[in-house]
Amino acid sequence: MSPDPVIVGGGPAAISAAIELAQHGVRSTLLEEASRLGGVVYRGPLREGVELDYLGERYKDALHKLHAEFADIAHSVDVRLNHRVVGGQGEHSLQVLDPDERLQEVGFGQLLLGAGCHERSVPFPGWTIPGVIMLGGLQLQIKSGVVKPRGPTLIVGTGPLLMLVACQLHAAGVEVAGVYEACEFTRIAKESLALLNQPQLFLDGLSMLMYLKRHGVTVRYGWGVVQARGDGELSEVIVAPYSDTWQPDLSKAQPVMARTLAVGYGFIPRTQLTQQMGLDHAYNVDGYLAVKADTWQRSNQPHIHLAGDVTGMRGGEAAMLTGRIAALSILLQRGVLSEKQARAQRRVYLSRLNTIVRFRGAIDRYTQRGTRQIELPQADTVVCRCENVTRADIDLALSQGVQDMASLKMRTRVSMGDCQGRMCVGYCSDRLRESTGRQDVGWLRPRFPLEPVPFSAFTNACKDA
Amino acid sequence: MIKTYDVVIAGGGVIGASCAYHLSRRKDLKVAMIDCKRPGNASRASAGGLWAIGESVGLGCGVIFFRMMSAERKREAQGTAVIVDSSTPHILPECFFDFALQSNALYPGLHQEMIEKHGMDFKFERTGLKYVIYDDEDRLYAEHIVANIPHLSDEVRWLDQAALRESEPSVSHDALGALEFLCDHQVSPFRLTDAYTEGARQNGVDLYFNSNVTEVLRQGSKVVGVRTDNQGAFHCKTLINAAGAWAAELSVMATDLSIPVAPVKGQIVLTERMPKLLNGCLTTSDCYLAQKDNGEILIGSTTEDKGFDVSTTFPEIAGLVQGAMRCIPELKDVNLKRTWAGLRPGSPDELPILGPMAGVEGYLNACGHFRTGILTSAITGVMLDALVRDQPLPLDVTPFLADRFNLQPVGLKKVIGA
Ligand SMILES: Cc1cc2nc3c(=O)[nH]c(=O)nc-3n(C[C@H](O)[C@H](O)[C@H](O)COP(=O)(O)OP(=O)(O)OC[C@H]3O[C@@H](n4cnc5c(N)ncnc54)[C@H](O)[C@@H]3O)c2cc1C
Ligand SMILES: Cc1cc2nc3c(=O)[nH]c(=O)nc-3n(C[C@H](O)[C@H](O)[C@H](O)COP(=O)(O)OP(=O)(O)OC[C@H]3O[C@@H](n4cnc5c(N)ncnc54)[C@H](O)[C@@H]3O)c2cc1C
Repeated sequence: MSPDPVIVGGGPAAISAAIELAQHGVRSTLLEEASRLGGVVYRGPLREGVELDYLGERYKDALHKLHAEFADIAHSVDVRLNHRVVGGQGEHSLQVLDPDERLQEVGFGQLLLGAGCHERSVPFPGWTIPGVIMLGGLQLQIKSGVVKPRGPTLIVGTGPLLMLVACQLHAAGVEVAGVYEACEFTRIAKESLALLNQPQLFLDGLSMLMYLKRHGVTVRYGWGVVQARGDGELSEVIVAPYSDTWQPDLSKAQPVMARTLAVGYGFIPRTQLTQQMGLDHAYNVDGYLAVKADTWQRSNQPHIHLAGDVTGMRGGEAAMLTGRIAALSILLQRGVLSEKQARAQRRVYLSRLNTIVRFRGAIDRYTQRGTRQIELPQADTVVCRCENVTRADIDLALSQGVQDMASLKMRTRVSMGDCQGRMCVGYCSDRLRESTGRQDVGWLRPRFPLEPVPFSAFTNACKDA
Repeated sequence: MIKTYDVVIAGGGVIGASCAYHLSRRKDLKVAMIDCKRPGNASRASAGGLWAIGESVGLGCGVIFFRMMSAERKREAQGTAVIVDSSTPHILPECFFDFALQSNALYPGLHQEMIEKHGMDFKFERTGLKYVIYDDEDRLYAEHIVANIPHLSDEVRWLDQAALRESEPSVSHDALGALEFLCDHQVSPFRLTDAYTEGARQNGVDLYFNSNVTEVLRQGSKVVGVRTDNQGAFHCKTLINAAGAWAAELSVMATDLSIPVAPVKGQIVLTERMPKLLNGCLTTSDCYLAQKDNGEILIGSTTEDKGFDVSTTFPEIAGLVQGAMRCIPELKDVNLKRTWAGLRPGSPDELPILGPMAGVEGYLNACGHFRTGILTSAITGVMLDALVRDQPLPLDVTPFLADRFNLQPVGLKKVIGA
């Protein structure tokens, strides 16, 4: 028999897949880089109340159920926490950095990748000043309860998470300097408004919008960030009305005093591993690359499966369902389920998934990225933080006829740093698309290792062979 | 509309770009360079060593190659009395030394010229190349090298253990000494390619990126142009084949003859940025190490016959990393940032393939530069410029002509094979 299926990630997608497999008697190995299971949102110690309520009752229940179910089958999952997958060279093994900083090769018969997504960064003048942070990172800070952001805190971006974090911050005693949603009020999906208007336990029964209103927090729709200012630390943020393509109207720009600026303009799938493994990808509507999965959650390599946000941001419940479907496919491939059995069960999951996808679709439409934000950086604004490449460097390269990502990298050093372009590739490819008029300007294929690893990790690698 | 040029260059790696630059210096020719970066293109993958002597005597990129060859020969030689080992260093013929050394001598001037005229700095650095000696076998190898190049004795220096420690304090104290090649230096390979490219553009060369040459237009035995996948047809008086590891494919299109250029895969490892740890470039019997202008240390390189595959592979990477830690023990606390692989355009005798081919008009080769295309790009550009203009050459091109191989028409070969 081929080795156990291997699951990368420990979020809702991964956990659900492990459960489905175990319920059919199949053991799996689960690799998670964090020290706890749960994924980006549920990693925290599962305390009751505060943290989960805001996600909505349905989600909360689903989660409790998930953790309870996992506890039941935990004995048949080899959970390896603090194990970071840093490479997928070849089609049947992964390179993993273990907690002792040794590199191991982990072989697999089937693989499920559930690496989730990360936040999209947007360069604008001053975005590297201390005090400017990502919205999700801020949310994790509040949840940890250890550090509080310095107030007043301004929130800019798009999507329901903005209001949520604003309420959480305020409830935690932080002064909120305002919420600036890039989308105009009239274009926000009714599904999302319903969520924002729904009474919340953690807000003493108020809806998020009511709560913010009652506490005098400024909420502006169709506004966005232009610039952050400060000498060594943030002191002021310039905001302006955004058009539907997120072009700021600078004639109406205004300053807002703030010591923390939380920026949340959306998410992008974590495709570093799927790209390195050479799987098929396609550009999403937002211009970002996402890995392609079929209705069994298989990649173009049928034994490699994908679930959750890696294929596009669809939320926790969808992650659970796609994890389960991927597990069904693995069970089918291993001959544990018949085609008929697998299909019947998949039908159940798919019908629930379709409902969620419709709901997400509505949110996706109004939170869709406006590309004119690329005009924000000024000549001296740093675009690639790792290599200190400015907008002027990129402008020069484009004027010299550079036409694709790899050539831009060679000419300017963008993306040659530790993060391999995770932060700047979006801006750069937007600029290239604009200047060449072509849709496909190439993408950077992440190289082994996905994160820097110490040389000593190789000390005994491949020596036994 | 058909575009018309004096010269079309197919391939825009360091070789094609150098040809474009050198042809455009006088701004009297209409030149186009057509390039579609294929995965594994060598110039972007390279280490950027200008190791004129080092590579000519089989060190640097050559060292692992040599080990592979000698292991192969050892295997072949089993049962016979002949043993090929470190006492037979892998030394290239005289004509290659001349070619490499003449090219090497061009860089200081070219570096100035690129900065002053075109605002492009390819980071030429005088580093020297030290062959680090760990044991008697290494020493024997070094002694044989020195014995084979008496005419270059001014460029060679022995370092004993104390001298090595003084000049390279980070090198392992297990090392017994080193043999240094004083004229071997380094550049940033992709900056060199970009400098040629941008210089050419500023001199009026038309660059067609993301275009593949898909067909060569011919009238009888004369090449008259090319067709591309997305820029239509180009007419030209001369076509230069600078297609790197893919040059054989283009030569078949142009001449029906397949020149013997084949991809030789090389994997490379790069560290994070560091304060200066190495004063010069190093080569050992396991790998070479070069600290680049921005502080990263580049460690190369494997020599593999894997076709056009450009994946990186764990055992080979681990081998390079272990070889590097053996040489510079403090690397163990340093982070490895990146690995990649590139395809050297290899030829059977390790010499490039340059110039015209018998019986074909309007076509010139500029390919097969194997493991020294960065080093030899400058002289290649100079030679090709002179060949196009039918002017005297700085070096005899005869040893580099494709006609040195016994080339069979591709169609004919098929018949024979059938
Ligand atoms: C800041 C933020 C707030 C969100 N808020 C909400 C919300 O309110 N409601 C909602 O429905 N959804 C929310 N989401 C989305 C929701 O978290 C995701 O849709 C869901 O968690 C996706 O689950 P997943 O299993 O695909 O990925 P994740 O939960 O992201 O889990 C992926 C896991 O994989 C691990 N991993 C990744 N790469 C590697 C590697 N190379 N090696 C080892 N481990 C690796 C990560 O550490 C992570 O634990 C939010 C997301 C973010 C980022
Ligand atoms: C790991 C490694 C380390 C090296 N280290 C050194 C070193 O230290 N010093 C040194 O001197 N050399 C070194 N080399 C060798 C050197 O990099 C090569 O000899 C040199 O780059 C070859 O240049 P090229 O222009 O011929 O090939 P390439 O750079 O591969 O360029 C050829 C170009 O032509 C394009 N092309 C091919 N066919 C077509 C077509 N039909 N239409 C359009 N475009 C086409 C290709 O896509 C490619 O972009 C190293 C090589 C490797 C792989």
